[in-house]
Amino acid sequence: MKSLVASFETESNLSEALPRLRDLGEIETYTPKALENEYPPSILPLVVLVAGFLGFGVGFGMQAYADAVGYPVDIGGRPEFSWPAFVPIAFEIGVLSAVATGFLGYLLVNRLPHLHDPVDEALLMRGATGDRWCVAIRTETPERAQDLLRALSAEQVEELPA
Amino acid sequence: MRAIEPVVLPGSNNPDMTDHVTGLALRDKAFVWWWIAVAPVAGLTAVLIGSVLYLFYAGVGIWGIDWPVAWGFAIINYVWWIAIASGGTFISALFFLTRSEWRSSINRIAESMTLFGAACAGIYPILHLGRPWFFYWLFPYPNSMGLWPQFRSPLLWDFFAILTYISSSVMFWYLGLLPDLATMRDRAVTRTKQIAYGCLALGFRGTSKQWRHFHSLYAVLAAIMAPLVCSVHSVVGLDFAGGATVGWHSTMFPPFFIFGAFLSGFATVLLLVIPLRRLLRLERYMTTRHIDVLTKLLLTSSLFVGYAYIMDGFSTYYGGQKAEIVNYHEKIFGYYAGIFWATVLFNVLLPQLFWFRTVRLNPLVVSLIAIGVIVGMWCERFTIVVVALHRPPLPSSYGLYHATIWDWLTMMGTVGFFVFGILLIVRFIPVISMFEMREILAPRRP
Repeated sequence: MKSLVASFETESNLSEALPRLRDLGEIETYTPKALENEYPPSILPLVVLVAGFLGFGVGFGMQAYADAVGYPVDIGGRPEFSWPAFVPIAFEIGVLSAVATGFLGYLLVNRLPHLHDPVDEALLMRGATGDRWCVAIRTETPERAQDLLRALSAEQVEELPA
Repeated sequence: MRAIEPVVLPGSNNPDMTDHVTGLALRDKAFVWWWIAVAPVAGLTAVLIGSVLYLFYAGVGIWGIDWPVAWGFAIINYVWWIAIASGGTFISALFFLTRSEWRSSINRIAESMTLFGAACAGIYPILHLGRPWFFYWLFPYPNSMGLWPQFRSPLLWDFFAILTYISSSVMFWYLGLLPDLATMRDRAVTRTKQIAYGCLALGFRGTSKQWRHFHSLYAVLAAIMAPLVCSVHSVVGLDFAGGATVGWHSTMFPPFFIFGAFLSGFATVLLLVIPLRRLLRLERYMTTRHIDVLTKLLLTSSLFVGYAYIMDGFSTYYGGQKAEIVNYHEKIFGYYAGIFWATVLFNVLLPQLFWFRTVRLNPLVVSLIAIGVIVGMWCERFTIVVVALHRPPLPSSYGLYHATIWDWLTMMGTVGFFVFGILLIVRFIPVISMFEMREILAPRRP
């Protein structure tokens, strides 16, 4: 198994090359902005939604319990279960759980922090967060990959030390 | 008449922008102006620390608060700062949802303003507690006395709102920074910087999976942040409206406070964008188009605020309550009337100059009006807090309020801390959201 990194000068060059590179082995793209093809939808919005409602429910329940059961205090004869007053805090707890779940969920689905990866050894990767469109290929046939990449107008190709 | 420039100047492209923006943050030596600016504000930050330490030692008696005005500078400044902070979220979240192209280049500055504005705001309620070391009593933690906080009080809602707002703003800011931190890591030349930015970037490399989840999550968080900021400022308004205090007990307060947040937020962004685009040579990406949009938004929000001022008078007379009318007359003709009229002048009358394009395109005049708005918003908070409290319903309880030197030092200290924070961001963090700019810039050099 050999790893190659190739850089392309434009997004369209990379996008056009991708379908033909997939036969070579495992590939991963590294790009300065998202590629404009159809991605499968992310799970995170759903997770965030569920976390938000859960946070709201738990927050509301906590207040209802505290004011009606745990520590009832008569304030000007108002009902102990004065639910409209519980809405703001329940909302804030819901938002906090949604945002925190989204943030931590993002780290989790991407397995971050992931400070070092073998692909970082390629010098070409330095451009992948700036203005170059990179692809890394793990393949059994590096020579074939090299030829194909050049035919597909890759700007530079770098072979990673095994 | 000068034409308004496009959102980026013609000929701008991604490689130049990336070089320029990363170059600013990766410079070995800071600009001379940076040191000149940082020296006084670092001094003021030290003043803040000193006055807070003395406050903890001596207690709130060092401030001007007393009966009947028990809410003084601490609450005025708290509301003032949280409004400034909220403006940043409006730009970064609300105008993300509207897909406004002008947002991309000033988004980072706006969000950083939110962070430090919220930090300045967040310390005041704790300082304002007579016994600040018991601030954790606000939190519903299990305790041996079986006590719970009073969930029916807007003051407790405020604690949760601010806690949520600060934590969410930090996470939203940091998430939006990850791709740019990765660029910094890959551009850094010294080992220290590579390690520092590398750790901060958490291993973001722009893989297809990272981008896919990033874009979905960022949009969802923006859609959450926009209502959150409205809720936070409404709750701040309810801190006042929830009490049966003359001058505060009004259903108008939540939206009124949100209007004020818009106004002071846009003014502060203008005050940061105008000098920074020149000092950092960013005129190419922050064009007169940005100034034009922000001044128009400032004008719009000043009309909202003006409407609220008129409704304040209208509902007072229409309601016909004696104590409310006395309080209102005191506000417009009494001891503190000058501060009320300064509010009207700075927040409503002067921004009307923005109807003229020549004014909108003159950076000096725009800055002066924006400074006026910041001052005007502070005066508004002073009027709300002090004037309402100094004329309670019982004439025997009338009183006056004067701030002490410690009030002023703490306030100036937070101003210094805010600018200090912004300067640190300008020095070490890309001031423009580079990955978002790539959506609107040419990919290659011509």
